[in-house]
Amino acid sequence: MPSLRLDGRRLEVSDGDTIAAAAFRAGVRTFTRSLKAHRRRGLYCGTGDCANCLVTVDGLPGERACVTPATDGMRVERETGWPSADRDALAINDRLHRFMPVGFYYKVFARPRWLWPIAERVIRRATGTGTLPVNAPARRTPTRFVRVRTLVIGGGVAGLAAAATASTDGSVLVADEAALGARTTDAAAREAITRLGAEARAAGADILAGHAAIGVYEGPSAALVGPDELVEVEAERVIVATGSLEAHGVFPGNDLPGVWLGRGAARMAAIHGVPIGKHAVVVANTDEGAQLADAVRTAGTDVTLVAGRVLEARGGHQVTSVTVLTPEGRRAFACDALVLSLGWAPRDTLLRMTVEPEVVGAGDVVRPGCTLDEAESSGRAAARGNADEPREADPWPITEHDGYVCVCEDVSMHDLEHAWDEGWTSSEILKRYTTATMGPCQGALCSRHLAEHARAKGAAPAARGRTTARPPVRGPRLGDLTGGVHEQAERRTALHDRHVSAGARMDHSGVWLRPGTYGDVADEIRAVRERVSVMDVSTLAKFLLAGRDAQTLLDRVFPLDVGAIAPGRARYLLALDEAGYVMDDGLLAALHSSYFLTSTSGGADRMEAWLRNWIDRLDLHVHLVNQTSQLGAINVAGPHARDLLATLSVDDLSRDALPYPGYAEITVAGVPCRAIAVGFVGELSFELHHPRGRSVELWDALLNAGSTWDIRPHGLDALDVLRLEKGHVYLAQDTMPDDHPAKLGLGWAVATHKAEFVGKRALERMDALPLERRLVGLRFDGPPQRGHPLAVDGAIVGRITSCAVSVAAGGPVGLGWLRAVDGEFPNVLRAGDVTATVSATPFYDPEGVRLRG
Amino acid sequence: MANVQDRAVGLIECAASPKALDRLIAPGHGARMLRVAPDEAIAVVAPAFTADVRRELNDRITALDEDALVLDVSDGWTGLALIGADADRALSYLSALDPPDGDAFIQGDVARVAAKILREPDGFLLLVPAYWGEHVRTRAVEDAGAQTVRS
Repeated sequence: MPSLRLDGRRLEVSDGDTIAAAAFRAGVRTFTRSLKAHRRRGLYCGTGDCANCLVTVDGLPGERACVTPATDGMRVERETGWPSADRDALAINDRLHRFMPVGFYYKVFARPRWLWPIAERVIRRATGTGTLPVNAPARRTPTRFVRVRTLVIGGGVAGLAAAATASTDGSVLVADEAALGARTTDAAAREAITRLGAEARAAGADILAGHAAIGVYEGPSAALVGPDELVEVEAERVIVATGSLEAHGVFPGNDLPGVWLGRGAARMAAIHGVPIGKHAVVVANTDEGAQLADAVRTAGTDVTLVAGRVLEARGGHQVTSVTVLTPEGRRAFACDALVLSLGWAPRDTLLRMTVEPEVVGAGDVVRPGCTLDEAESSGRAAARGNADEPREADPWPITEHDGYVCVCEDVSMHDLEHAWDEGWTSSEILKRYTTATMGPCQGALCSRHLAEHARAKGAAPAARGRTTARPPVRGPRLGDLTGGVHEQAERRTALHDRHVSAGARMDHSGVWLRPGTYGDVADEIRAVRERVSVMDVSTLAKFLLAGRDAQTLLDRVFPLDVGAIAPGRARYLLALDEAGYVMDDGLLAALHSSYFLTSTSGGADRMEAWLRNWIDRLDLHVHLVNQTSQLGAINVAGPHARDLLATLSVDDLSRDALPYPGYAEITVAGVPCRAIAVGFVGELSFELHHPRGRSVELWDALLNAGSTWDIRPHGLDALDVLRLEKGHVYLAQDTMPDDHPAKLGLGWAVATHKAEFVGKRALERMDALPLERRLVGLRFDGPPQRGHPLAVDGAIVGRITSCAVSVAAGGPVGLGWLRAVDGEFPNVLRAGDVTATVSATPFYDPEGVRLRG
Repeated sequence: MANVQDRAVGLIECAASPKALDRLIAPGHGARMLRVAPDEAIAVVAPAFTADVRRELNDRITALDEDALVLDVSDGWTGLALIGADADRALSYLSALDPPDGDAFIQGDVARVAAKILREPDGFLLLVPAYWGEHVRTRAVEDAGAQTVRS
């Protein structure tokens, strides 16, 4: 016999059982403890609408036992109660309830201020539902995208009728959270579902069972959660046919175990064959009363069927008696189960999430209590574009002077009264103050009661509406919420595997995954300064520009004198926006009939869009190709860089043929390369831009040939020190969004004599103003910290943006922002315990002799 | 089932004036021309014909626009074939885009990155920038894989 374990106890599982059915058959009556008062809670709705039966299944919390199929070997734990749900020491809270009115903790623990963090911790431990499995491996739900003409949510009579009719007018998808007809006890309804399901399928409708809609959004679109997937549906129209459930009755004792909503009780008896008690009282004010009573009897329960108002239910561990005001008068019944069919509560949350006219309802959800024939005609009418207007159930709602309104959050009628008397006099702020409707069922049971309470109290129409409906209707798993959306699509260079196999620590650098270090940063720095090193710089943005207006474009948008760059030479380039602020930097190399532009690794997309925009605005004949993904790039740096390349190339690599900053087309180890002599690390360096597909070949050849000079690759950690020693800035790290070149000490990169370039007028205006802030080089007498404030006489005047302990620079150095004080920039500052002295940059090789090699 | 396979493809990019591209006669060798922008077209071709198609395109387009750029950009792209009876369903796990019909292609988000989707006789050819190749390959196998895909 298959079995599951509930809190370690073995329970037999029959074919078709839900967890709740297996547990109830085995005598379990208390499934949870209530959130605050720790009252016993048993099976109530039986349809997945309330939160009374949330359990942890195989480590996953918040599963609804009443609709989750039981399987052999399943491990189920009740989530609330200490030490157990059956014997809960915190049930004392129920007796103290009157001392803990709604909102009490806002006031009681407000003073002294240190008390709240402690109280919050205690309250959190004592409440809540389930524990997140923080050590469980992350689970990511695949997302499927579907576009259809009509999405029908709900596979009941109305939904299937709508699908069958709508299928003549385009594609239809039907989503139901269970198998079709699996949850109905009414033979006539099952027969209609079978017939209409066949009709819908024959008409071409796609039926997706086991998929719960958790939200309807503008578009319209909807999210469906299935066992192994999240389905994002874009539809031209959505028909919500989610039916209705029995109204939640509010009366003293309404939350006792043994109090059931009618259809849940009928399912337990008629589908699972489990008697809900020895003697049940069915209080029915709907047309389903007799049918429910018959269903409950099938499992052997003795049933008394009455109509009327429930005045009170009594009991301890479970209900033992009920008092009903019948047409014949007040009557009391002894019972161990109370079944309610007091009215209808349309499951209209999805329908209320959007006001789009393309989202309509059909069947019970808009005509609560309708017959099967009416449901079918309602569905077909909705499919033809004549949807029924939503109609409220009558009578509704059912409230007495006491009882629990919101069973999820333990909010009673008494609490609502109390909150109202405190001045929270509208349904929306009652919700916020009392947290009614904010529990796992999201107001499925109680949102009407809240509105009705406001109405009964005389609130103005605007203050007595139903509270806003928001997703999710059903509690999704966290993996469902990520659903492929919140992920970083990391870019990898062609050398990724080489870096990993060399033991590199791979870091996220903007959108790229890059080597931080290969293990010994100091040796990587030494390799660059003393021998030779390579770095994968394939991440650089790379553009080829050609066409008769290419020079005009570059001259108009960049502040450098493009005409002065002879073919075969390269220049540092700043990109300014219209406000004169630095938005990017890079290199521009003049080829014989075109230009090759590189810019920062993270800025390729923005730079391309920016250049294309200017091409269009200026109406220029320029062709632009973004070669970022096409070309790999390796920087060969160090005193022996030229020697290394000479061993792998027959091209002329002399200082005359490839000077700094120069450009040449060369072949290295058989790989065609655009070589640019650069100086970012302050040594003789050549960037070799080459076809990405040959990166590995080139990398391996360089490392093999470089063994003569004990070559090492270097990563971002070493680069950070190397460029800092030269005083070179990292955009974004050392800069701010409103930096113009002079603030960064980069005024030399601006050809102010040019008649026009983007940002020129703004720079002219700013140049007329005194500089209030600037980036400076700093030397420290101790180890500095990046981000540390810089102060003069205790007043903060700047901060450190980059720093490192540099062997080449002879000690700790850095860059930092300084604000002028009384028109003067201070030279000596304090950075905590460290003294910082403003120093000229570069710190290393200020004459730039080494990079000219 | 559906399979995801690496597919070697030759890609020739043509950057030229819109007028020139409007008048460009497509090359032979089974090349498929994708007009990805008014001033940009890409020829997709079997790798063996890449050089021939590049030469052919260069001759034709420079006669129409002397400044045109014709580049072999095969290295810049990863080709992934999503093929098999469930290829359409597998694609729906990767992209919200409607699959292209016939010889048409579409471009947009695939596994949250920019890509082009071409219809193949037995499924789809996905073209993604090479630096995202591994990402899309992983997504195809892990997301669609649980449902339909073998790699």
